[in-house]
Amino acid sequence: MSGHKMEFPITWGMVIDIDKCTGCGACMASCQTENNVEPQREASNKLRATSWMLVYELTNDKAFPNHDIAYLPRPCQQCGNPPCVSVCPVIATDKNENGGIVSQVYPRCIGCRYCVAACPYHVRYFGWYDPIWPEGMEKTLSPMTSVRPRGVVEKCTFCHHRWTQAKDAARVAGKDPDNLDDGAYVTSCVQNCPSGALAFGDIKNPKHKVHELVKSPYAFRLLERLGTDTQVYYISRREWVRKLGDNYLKSE
Amino acid sequence: MGLDRRAFLGLVAGGTVGAMFTPIPWKLIDDASIWTQNWPWIPRVPKGQVDYVATTSKLCPAGEGLKIMRVAGNPILAGGNPSHPLSCGGVSALARSEVYMLYSPARIKSPMKRNGKTFAPITWEQALVEMAEKLGAAKGAVASISGDNTGTINEVLTALTAKLGSAGSFMMPSEATTAAKAMKLMGAQGQAGYDFENADTVLVLGADIFETWGTSSRNRKAFGANRPAGAKPANSYVYVGPTRNNTAAVCDQWVPAAAADLGVVALGIAWHLLKAGATSNAPGFDTFKAVVNGGFGPEDVKRATGVAPETLAAIAKALASAKAPLVVTGSPFGQGLGAAPVIAGMSLNMLLGRINKPGGVYMLPELPSVVPGALTRAAMLDGDLPAFLKGVESGKTPAPKALLIYDANPAYGLPEAATMAKALEKIPFKVSFSSFMDETAALCDLVLPNSLPLERYDDVATPYGSGFCVYSLVRPIQKPICDTKTTGDVLLGLARKLSIDLKFDNFQQVIKEKVASLAKVSGGFVAKDVMPWQVAAGKPAPALVGGDLWKALEAGYAWTMVGQAAQTSMGFAAEVLAKAVKAGKPATATVLAPYAQLRTGTPVTGMPCQDLTTVPDTELLGDTTFIRVNSETAKALGLKKGQMIKLSGAGVDCQAKVHIFESVMPGMVSAPLGFGHTAFDYYSQGKGANYLSLAAVVEEAGSGLSMWIAPEVKIA
Repeated sequence: MSGHKMEFPITWGMVIDIDKCTGCGACMASCQTENNVEPQREASNKLRATSWMLVYELTNDKAFPNHDIAYLPRPCQQCGNPPCVSVCPVIATDKNENGGIVSQVYPRCIGCRYCVAACPYHVRYFGWYDPIWPEGMEKTLSPMTSVRPRGVVEKCTFCHHRWTQAKDAARVAGKDPDNLDDGAYVTSCVQNCPSGALAFGDIKNPKHKVHELVKSPYAFRLLERLGTDTQVYYISRREWVRKLGDNYLKSE
Repeated sequence: MGLDRRAFLGLVAGGTVGAMFTPIPWKLIDDASIWTQNWPWIPRVPKGQVDYVATTSKLCPAGEGLKIMRVAGNPILAGGNPSHPLSCGGVSALARSEVYMLYSPARIKSPMKRNGKTFAPITWEQALVEMAEKLGAAKGAVASISGDNTGTINEVLTALTAKLGSAGSFMMPSEATTAAKAMKLMGAQGQAGYDFENADTVLVLGADIFETWGTSSRNRKAFGANRPAGAKPANSYVYVGPTRNNTAAVCDQWVPAAAADLGVVALGIAWHLLKAGATSNAPGFDTFKAVVNGGFGPEDVKRATGVAPETLAAIAKALASAKAPLVVTGSPFGQGLGAAPVIAGMSLNMLLGRINKPGGVYMLPELPSVVPGALTRAAMLDGDLPAFLKGVESGKTPAPKALLIYDANPAYGLPEAATMAKALEKIPFKVSFSSFMDETAALCDLVLPNSLPLERYDDVATPYGSGFCVYSLVRPIQKPICDTKTTGDVLLGLARKLSIDLKFDNFQQVIKEKVASLAKVSGGFVAKDVMPWQVAAGKPAPALVGGDLWKALEAGYAWTMVGQAAQTSMGFAAEVLAKAVKAGKPATATVLAPYAQLRTGTPVTGMPCQDLTTVPDTELLGDTTFIRVNSETAKALGLKKGQMIKLSGAGVDCQAKVHIFESVMPGMVSAPLGFGHTAFDYYSQGKGANYLSLAAVVEEAGSGLSMWIAPEVKIA
């Protein structure tokens, strides 16, 4: 595909247990405030609203009483082979850092939105409007994430600033910043989920819980057949949920 | 001296070369490129030292402990506190909003007095003088309403109301008011607490335990802790209710049953348990047995509810064979349930021998009261506010001369909102202590804004649903942003002005006294290394070092205690069940099945601004909310996807669009609550409709309690 596939000694990954997600939206609210996404008056217009983390409602498409639902939180999938990177004309997005987090450099972005079109997971958001907070509320902005102007594309960064902080804390404690303890770096959504449905860690580190979780027979990734090799895994014991993870034909 | 051609070309060439070597043009281009991106209207992020302080969420009814990140002393982010037993690190979308709410456009910025149809700002001294004068004149006929189920502020409010001559002190109706009524009718002492952490098989009758019922964040943590990702769950949950709501979505089984039939289903399960030999020494068992055997056999239940006999039998068998079964009953939308279904659900716990057992139900004692003359929580929960206001509206009950409204928005958050608003209009002097300009504050004569929880001392004492007694501190981590005051201080100041002795000068003293009283309670401890559910399971409770309790609470730890109030006469209240629970014919009319979610806030908070994004476009699109019906109901009613319809009930009409959603029972119209505000700010106002206003209040047979669990609606 894009030819950007790279291997890193550290691969940060998220594992989401769909069978525990109640769809409450706490992950979305946590993400918004952590990453300075402004409150949006017309948030119901999903073509214009920005939500780095978005909870989808899945259904097995059956009629009552055999109908079933599940909720699927969707951050940036941090593809191992990211379709967005190869289309960016100005290298505003890249996958070139240990950890495998797909970067997004706002001052470099020219707002062409090729990446928005290329991303099969709809994780990229174009800023259609100036970010405006109600009067005084700008005092609650997080110092960890810059505020983006309109006209650039933004997306989930796996709360990259938290990784920097965790590495700093490790250095101060005399530990190896490239071998963080499990839980030393987690994203805001993972930290605050009331159901404990989200887990985070280094997929390649055997000491991290996610290392085992991704091997679960119930684990799957979204649109795996595209070869994007994502770093976000989902777990569900329900077969219909796992099958919805990819575009299966009815005959399959 | 002339300038010849050669000199001119030389000058141009020299100038060009010179310009290439000077930094000026490059600097100008660089400046221009920076300037084009240097948009002053894009906010800059704050800078300063980062620190974390602990407090407790007061806006979220789940009462989670919070860790607040501050930058240069200003609160920035609210996260869950891993050390707090009601959070364990988790936080709801509503609790997460506590920081942003400080700057909500709906905040009331100073005390205000009604001036015709508008309000005019006044000083706090003027407000106190005005209030003292009006309340002094209204002595003997002063009522109060509180929406705070967990605060010691209620002691100050009810003690003052009593000293002024109470016409009634009421709590806003909730799961707690219904449960309190049920426990009273059963002759039980204490507040029912549910030990989810140690339960292995949980039957949930209606209660949206993972969203709006009780300590929902803690409930979810307890649920998730025993369900390792990708492995076989160590617990089992069955949900019975009209829709596959947020709770049912993760339960192992959803059993569709109307909210009006929850009691019937419970007694149907009791029939199987009794048949299998379940028995009890509790008062009223024989009558209970006769009631159950007389009308709640498998076929009776199937006829009334549609629940198959084999489904009931399987649930009963799973409960009977479980090591630690637990039955939880509540309303699918957090209010309006009658007492009888709660009694029926609790009867199952009694048949299963689950009272005062790990993984069962603990009847939690009330924490010591500190304000002289205050009502107990049980006494406050015993009031029936909808019945009182309906009586006032119809003229059957004399209207109080003055009404104090604390942390409540009855003009929006009660059923039959139109009736309730009319009742409020009959009360000549009303004071709201709301922090936000809500629907009720807009009707009041004085609006005296309470400081928000991050700006004041407050507390959270054993929220309903908690499986253990718990007390945690709310403390100010920044000065009030607006000209607001802690209502506790205002009420104590008012008492002084009226020469009423409430023992305390300020509210912080009240809280300190409360904490001091807790230090004397036997069996209490600070949940730090040992959590209360571990103590319930048999681990020894650590000793409490009395002098450090305040410090421990300030550090974000919670005081907890495991155990139950002594029970002398907890019985089955079978006579209430006989009158209120009937396995009759299924409803033929269209029934409203509301659902509530924390992300749309509470009647007191309105819609938290950044939570608006979390609402899906199948719930709110533009300014229109959606109701949900399954395809069978849609066909029967002639409705199509996306069609605009009008719902009518209790003399009110509401607009909605149709969303086809198969996880709603036939004949039911599922509708989201939390929308349709006429007050607050542009994030709440005019967004959708308030479907609670369609619900008519009826009196439950046997208990006399107001209920609105299954209101009929008409669709056009």
